[in-house]
Amino acid sequence: MTQTIEIPAPDAPETPSSRVPGRWGVTWHGVRTVAALELRQRVRSTRWLVALVAWVVVVGAITLLLFGALDSLIGTGGTGTTRDQRGPVLFAAVTFLVLGLGLLVTPTLASTSVNGDRNAGTLATLQVTLLSPAEIALGKLLAAWTASCAFLAVSVPFLAIATGAGPTPWWSLVRVVALIAALLVAVCGVGLGMSALVARSAGSSVLTFVVVAAVTFIAPILFGVSYAAVTSDETVRVYGMPSSWDGSADVRCEWSDGVRSVAHTERTWWLLGVNPFVVVADGAGTSATPGAGDNDPLAALRDTVRQVRAGAQGQVDECWMGDGEFVPATSTAPVWPWGLGVNLLLGAAGYVVAVRRLSIPQRSLPRGTRVA
Amino acid sequence: MTDSTSTAPPPTGASGPVDGIVVRDVRRSFGAVHALDGASLTARAGAVTALVGPNGSGKTTLLLVLAGLLVPDSGEVRVAGLDPVTHGPAARARTGWMPDAFGTWDSLTAREVLLTFAAAYRISPAAARARADELLATVHLAEYADRPASVLSRGQKQRLGLARALVHDPQVLLLDEPASGLDPRSRVDLRVLLRRLADEGRTVLVSSHILSELEELSDDVVFVSRGRTVGSSDVGAVGGTAAGPTTWHVRALSYAALTTWLTTTGATWQPDDAQDPHAPATDRPGGVLLTVDGDEGAALLVRDAVAAGVPLASLAPATGALERAYLALEEERR
Repeated sequence: MTQTIEIPAPDAPETPSSRVPGRWGVTWHGVRTVAALELRQRVRSTRWLVALVAWVVVVGAITLLLFGALDSLIGTGGTGTTRDQRGPVLFAAVTFLVLGLGLLVTPTLASTSVNGDRNAGTLATLQVTLLSPAEIALGKLLAAWTASCAFLAVSVPFLAIATGAGPTPWWSLVRVVALIAALLVAVCGVGLGMSALVARSAGSSVLTFVVVAAVTFIAPILFGVSYAAVTSDETVRVYGMPSSWDGSADVRCEWSDGVRSVAHTERTWWLLGVNPFVVVADGAGTSATPGAGDNDPLAALRDTVRQVRAGAQGQVDECWMGDGEFVPATSTAPVWPWGLGVNLLLGAAGYVVAVRRLSIPQRSLPRGTRVA
Repeated sequence: MTDSTSTAPPPTGASGPVDGIVVRDVRRSFGAVHALDGASLTARAGAVTALVGPNGSGKTTLLLVLAGLLVPDSGEVRVAGLDPVTHGPAARARTGWMPDAFGTWDSLTAREVLLTFAAAYRISPAAARARADELLATVHLAEYADRPASVLSRGQKQRLGLARALVHDPQVLLLDEPASGLDPRSRVDLRVLLRRLADEGRTVLVSSHILSELEELSDDVVFVSRGRTVGSSDVGAVGGTAAGPTTWHVRALSYAALTTWLTTTGATWQPDDAQDPHAPATDRPGGVLLTVDGDEGAALLVRDAVAAGVPLASLAPATGALERAYLALEEERR
């Protein structure tokens, strides 16, 4: 992939590196140069430090408040059960808080990186250097991701407190942090692409938020709206009370055929699967043993989505007795690789758009922009 | 990926000055606006070439094409012998471009700005540090080397921008309004610097509105109007050198006496800027511009005028020749 161009430099003996990558070529030197430039620009602005401190205060305060609130909600019963009940809830709450705030903050970090530079008049002077468009885009992506990972990094102590508070395995902490970091790089890629597509930085920020909202809110809403469309009356096997039941207690449920309205959510589960919260909940790997997830919101969300993915298997449970004989169809296949993959694809598309838009010489200009 | 771009060896070797910039019939339009409509020019290596034209005449677009940022719709462009479209990186490695409006990264110090660009041009860190120090001294920003660029004044930023364009020791310099915002001292420095760069065999193309500045600075001049180059000449023809026909500014105590005498000798002259060309000649002091064949011609003119009893007050090489040419161009434009 790294196509290189030999630059003959007979009258420039000071140019030691004579290899210049083509449009998609990338060298670590070039990426580092751009990323260091971007980070210096950002880190030295006190505004950024203020945002980081505000983040720590918010996440810390909510974590500690939840700690106290859960204590009084769940009660001060036996320490063992409190610990088992409180820990997973706290871990899920802090995880979703960090993810949610990360999804809010990250678009602003990346979505002005190209058009902001263009408006400030610093982009064209960088484009005419020997940096390839891919290096400029990747450097900007890396800088934005590093900045958003800084927010994630200062949240790790609070995630650790939540992990320490309960039976959540430490392995889950690692997985959650890795998944959030991967989701944030996808958001950075989308923001980068938008900032290369749209001339005004306000517009690109809004569009990035729209994409984040699309996977976070709009897709689940579409799932709900389409629920009726995938529901139809079908003949299924029903596990229910015997027709001869007269109200006396001691009967066993039995199988029969009946017409019921059945939702084929196996066709629409992916609308839930792309949701970043679902991705993290599914991939967190908390309460892996069946039945242990009763108090664990992450595991509950995971089990729900996997059940939705399995969809209707031609069986309906109408038994009141709860004899435990009916096992609802569920999928054991993880959902998160699909959801994460879609998000990363969106990010990769943004990156590709940015590289194409950064390539010079340009044939067409985005509307309302000047080259320099 | 087999389409690795191969780069022709540079035709500009050590074998003397070759044309630094060649532009032939270049067109470029933005929608319905024809920013460049058949521009052609040649800028010699070892000379400073001025690009003169009114606002919106296509100067900046032409420089963007030369800098390798824009693809021309048609026409041929060679910068240091290379096509900026097909041999982009190779051409850009030899081209230093300073845009008319550019920003600086406010949080970086002047030195960091130069080091960043040196890294972007893939210059080794050690060489880059030496080069940055050298350039900061050249543009008299050494004392601001470690101050953030945000504290620099407009003129100082302009000088930093010039240093930035020079960081990779380019063979071809494209400067868009380099003198704007500069104080008189800095303008003199810029003039000396550009002269030195040209004398080193580099090609320097300067666009500016400060015509008196360009007149002193440049060897050649290219006029641009409505996206077309409407004429080019060496500045000597419009400015002033010792040999060859040059324009002189002649003033006398009586404008009427001067013009009457000139008309009888059959010389072609025109009123100077202070004179109303439509008012009848009066006995008040006034001056004309006329073309004289070198210093000897000027001496001859003085002798004949004094002999004819014309009350000569002064005789000097005319300044503002570029300005007059420029204004004539403006007139055509209307």
